[in-house]
Amino acid sequence: MNEREFHPDVKRLLDGEITIADLPPELRAEGEEALRLLAAVDRSPVSTPAVTWRVMAALERRRQRVRWPLLLVPALAMAAALVLWININRPSMVGPSAASNVVTVRFVLVAPGAQHVSLAGTFNHWDPRATPLVRSGAGDLWTATLSLPSGQHQYAFVVDGTRWVPDPAAPAVDDGFGRRNSVLTL
Amino acid sequence: MRFPSILSLALLAASPLAGQQRFTGRIATVVESLGVAATARGLPVDPVIEKAIEGSAKGIPAERLTTALRVVVDQLDTAAASLRAGGISGDTIAIAAGEFAITAGLHGRDITELARTGRPAADVTVGLRVAGTLAALGVPPLESVKLVSAELRLGRSPADLLALPGRVESEVAHGATPAQAAAGLTRAAAGQAGGQGGPAGPGGPHHGPPPGKSGEPPPHPPHP
Repeated sequence: MNEREFHPDVKRLLDGEITIADLPPELRAEGEEALRLLAAVDRSPVSTPAVTWRVMAALERRRQRVRWPLLLVPALAMAAALVLWININRPSMVGPSAASNVVTVRFVLVAPGAQHVSLAGTFNHWDPRATPLVRSGAGDLWTATLSLPSGQHQYAFVVDGTRWVPDPAAPAVDDGFGRRNSVLTL
Repeated sequence: MRFPSILSLALLAASPLAGQQRFTGRIATVVESLGVAATARGLPVDPVIEKAIEGSAKGIPAERLTTALRVVVDQLDTAAASLRAGGISGDTIAIAAGEFAITAGLHGRDITELARTGRPAADVTVGLRVAGTLAALGVPPLESVKLVSAELRLGRSPADLLALPGRVESEVAHGATPAQAAAGLTRAAAGQAGGQGGPAGPGGPHHGPPPGKSGEPPPHPPHP
């Protein structure tokens, strides 16, 4: 497999939890590369499964600690601009219909050398043709943006039509066939 | 809330999915047979259908796929029985969530433990999904259940429950193991329960009377 997985500290950088200056020197090049890749992606207000929870937790912490002014710190502002954030469309909370919340999610895979990447999961009846990802930036980064109902979803990336690849940065469970499915709980 | 089980099977047969030959006639027969039997036992059939579609999409041989489908039904049975033991019956969405939790590594007794928190079935459903997700993140099932159970007993909202995996991941990013992260959050929840005047102890938050001198854990509250 040649999918790229960044160091956990670099993921924190992408999540806006730290700045490039907070990275140890040996990780700065990787961090700059990650930022460069991410900069190639459009900035629409969405989130990736991999960073959703970290972003939510970060936002929650900020709310609890009433530290919103910290967002004005230039370094954090720069990081925040790079964070893929959540846009939750909450319909009117009218009884059970509140369960129909829709969450916009961006899926991202770094797959050098891939010719085609798609997404298959419970949300599209595991159809590898239904949700192709779009190549971005330098060509290694593939993304797709979906609006999904709240709930629990399982999915995998399909590389070049044949290779089923779990999201390297998301939790995964046994799929019952000897492979792994990534898990997204919204 | 219930999955429209039989209706799902009927729609599956008539749907574009069938037209696209998402799975073979042999698998369709197995799905129908398992689905009808599952529905008769009050189980949701959607997880069986989804697993059949998934296996077919992945090119899984029919024999192996059939085995996997039987495992799904077994897990649905276990989830349903465990929920019933905890006071929740007939909720097929909760059963499906329990089946996912089992797939992630939880046991029937864990599902019962969460059901016994006395929270509404919808909240327990979210709790089961979150507990399964925590297990998928590497949190030992026991710690997952302790944490989610504590949060459920505190009356946390579904949004708060859904934030738990992210909070664990955040702690892991700071060097904790998933088990340590979950245990820390459980202790924090216990502390909050104590702050609210609840009978929380160092072992976690509890409802009902404080632990007795015997050291036995307190009884769970009766499920409504």
